[in-house]
Amino acid sequence: MRNSPVLGHLSRVLSGVALMVVAGALPWLSRTDPAAAVLRARYAELEPSPEALAAVRDELGLEGGPLDSSLRWWSGAVRGDFGTSWVSGGEVAPGVWRALGVSATLTLFAVCVALVVAAALVAPACRRVLRDRPQRGSGPVGVALTALPEFLLASALLVVVAVQLRWLPPYGWTGPDTAILPALSLGIPAGGLLGRLLADAVAGVAEERWVHVWRLSGAPRRVILAGVLRRAGAAVVDQLGFVLIGLLGGAVAVEQVFAIPGLGRHLLGSANAQDIPSLQAGVLVVAVAAALVGALTSLARRLLRGGPLPPGSLPPPPEPRGDGRLARWTAGTALALLLLILVTGLPRDPYTIAHPRLAAPSPALPFGADASGRDLLARVAHGTIGTLTPAFLIVLGAIVVGLLLAMLGEVSRGPAEIANATPPILAGVIVAALLGPSVAGAALAVLWVTWPPLTTHAASLVEEARAMPHVRWLPLAGVSSTEIWWRHVLPSTIPRLLRHGMLRLPGVALALAALGFLGLGAQPPLPEWGLLISEGIDYVERAPWTTAAPASALILTSVFAVALAGLRRRLPPNAPRRPSLTVREDAEVSIPASAV
Amino acid sequence: MSDAELTVAQVSAVHGRGGRARQALAPTTLEIRAGESVAVVGPSGAGKSTLADIVLGLRPPASGEVRVSGTAWCTPGSLPDRRRRRLVQGVSQDPTASFVPRWTIRRSIEQAVRRLTGETDAADRIRQAAELAHLSPELLDRRTTALSGGQAQRAAIARALAVRPAVLVADEPTSALDPATARSVCAALFASAAETGTALLLVTHDPELAARCTRTVRIVAPAQHR
Repeated sequence: MRNSPVLGHLSRVLSGVALMVVAGALPWLSRTDPAAAVLRARYAELEPSPEALAAVRDELGLEGGPLDSSLRWWSGAVRGDFGTSWVSGGEVAPGVWRALGVSATLTLFAVCVALVVAAALVAPACRRVLRDRPQRGSGPVGVALTALPEFLLASALLVVVAVQLRWLPPYGWTGPDTAILPALSLGIPAGGLLGRLLADAVAGVAEERWVHVWRLSGAPRRVILAGVLRRAGAAVVDQLGFVLIGLLGGAVAVEQVFAIPGLGRHLLGSANAQDIPSLQAGVLVVAVAAALVGALTSLARRLLRGGPLPPGSLPPPPEPRGDGRLARWTAGTALALLLLILVTGLPRDPYTIAHPRLAAPSPALPFGADASGRDLLARVAHGTIGTLTPAFLIVLGAIVVGLLLAMLGEVSRGPAEIANATPPILAGVIVAALLGPSVAGAALAVLWVTWPPLTTHAASLVEEARAMPHVRWLPLAGVSSTEIWWRHVLPSTIPRLLRHGMLRLPGVALALAALGFLGLGAQPPLPEWGLLISEGIDYVERAPWTTAAPASALILTSVFAVALAGLRRRLPPNAPRRPSLTVREDAEVSIPASAV
Repeated sequence: MSDAELTVAQVSAVHGRGGRARQALAPTTLEIRAGESVAVVGPSGAGKSTLADIVLGLRPPASGEVRVSGTAWCTPGSLPDRRRRRLVQGVSQDPTASFVPRWTIRRSIEQAVRRLTGETDAADRIRQAAELAHLSPELLDRRTTALSGGQAQRAAIARALAVRPAVLVADEPTSALDPATARSVCAALFASAAETGTALLLVTHDPELAARCTRTVRIVAPAQHR
């Protein structure tokens, strides 16, 4: 029963309905009384007396319960009426459509950039197919491109190209020239991810037996390449979908850096102002777009692969390749540098204002001082702890959730698909709007996007453990099913799940930092990488080290994450090789900041 | 009802569900008395191993009923009660199925004896079972990974007999062994079953082996339409 496809469909439908109810009832989920929030936003000087609150409730149609207001909101939303903003009192809909137009245009530009980058990365693998050369991994270029978090790339492009070289306008949305930098900062990491996945998939497919058979039977090279690309494309098309959704709704940071009035900035603004109707509309638009993209990608996958997937698993992205030596060295170096920062910085004090403002780096102050005169080395080192500790807890939480849901089987399918398609920043925006910005809120948002892959993996590991002959036969020895779970299935599942979780740790840390950068996570004066970068970015011309220090820590983590994901698990020499089992954990570490 | 130890009445099985459902075992009926051995033969895909799984109580039948020692054992809605598991034991094609890989043979047998019979001291039973299965006692303190195929299969027979079952199911017990080892393992299997008066259900491909049983039941391939 746990794996019945009917249950999977039922789960999808129910989670969809639940999501709709929740989206409609967002005002009631907010930690604050919606009426009080509106009152505070509009008339800051007015006392929140019961009469005033009642008047606001009356005016906004907030009477009735959450289900009631959800229904009312939906009946408006299907007619294109998203209600009125709590802050301005104006119609929400026109603003959202405008933002959607801007975002769609920007996404289009970014996709063009991404396709060019991806094509460049896939070209060597295709050339090797044409020339019948042995395949190699996607190489360090792909790693470097995907390792750059978007908000960092955006900041760097802004500083170098717009501010120092003055080649392009630094912000705004006034013409094609203002779209170039944002499209680059969105498109390069996305293209890097796609290209890397596709190159790995091409390399994997090129080694399949049928390619050999086709070669022997004299098929033209073009035909072979087309066949290889078709199969490889089928493996990557789901990732393409996630990337598209990420570009459309998750481009918050880039839109913020370049001050582009797109959907992302609309969402962020609504979250900061706790303007829930405006947030609802934005989320709905992104969700509809995500559903459309999802339908399109599954259609594309059907065309490429033929037929629907058998129920039971989300398709894993292709296996990363490479000889691993370079990856090991890269990962090792990055880790060593991070440890060096930690060891030297942790004993220092991150909070005391003891230095001249924006003091330049010197032997006594290796990373310089920030705008308030605090020791940057200390802040970056403490920020490592402040970023990695929640990340660690998130990963552990996701493992627990994954195991629990894996026991439930197909029931978790609907929520998993929704969560899998949510860009972390979108989740962060929603949580921040409901609970106010905090580390815990950001952690909750990142947990929401972290559990699905771990659940999928846990489910496949559990299935595998239960299918082992000796586990199947344990009932014969009088072992109860509870005991089979606790003493035989879980012990063989948990170590591998932990390993997968640890591979995801740096990616989780980066997502947290991105939320911190947007002000949705840790609040000042807490040292946290994202927050440190956003504090430093205002002084980047006078004191570049204020951004360089936390950014380099972040890049080191990112490089570490991507290099680690590229490592293959080394099996003991006599262990049985079961490809289907070794693929998952490494392969599913999708690239950290790219979905951001 | 007769005094059969094992009664399989009109038992069938279905793989998959919904539109993909496919009959895996056509309705099958057989009976085994104490001390008898019955060979189950039939073409590949006829559902021989599925029948073995059902008799072992590892999966419920789609229809029909299995009775052991005169009481219901497993029906479409129910698997056997944990406390009665002692009654039916098995030897699989893959002897590692009988043992937890990280435990020694002795520990696996001990655990089974303790759970199924409630006896805390399993030493006697283990010694007797090893003797019955022609397993040298020093092998009891190894793990399955350190045994040869024939040794592991004898250990599996010992494990099954240690709890003194009424019915022993052997699913292709020799198919993974070389001919000489297969002969000696078979000898051990038949001898021990006869000595303890256990009803033996032997699933096999091998006509020679089938000929040594009291009776042969041939199961037919299920109809290929859904």
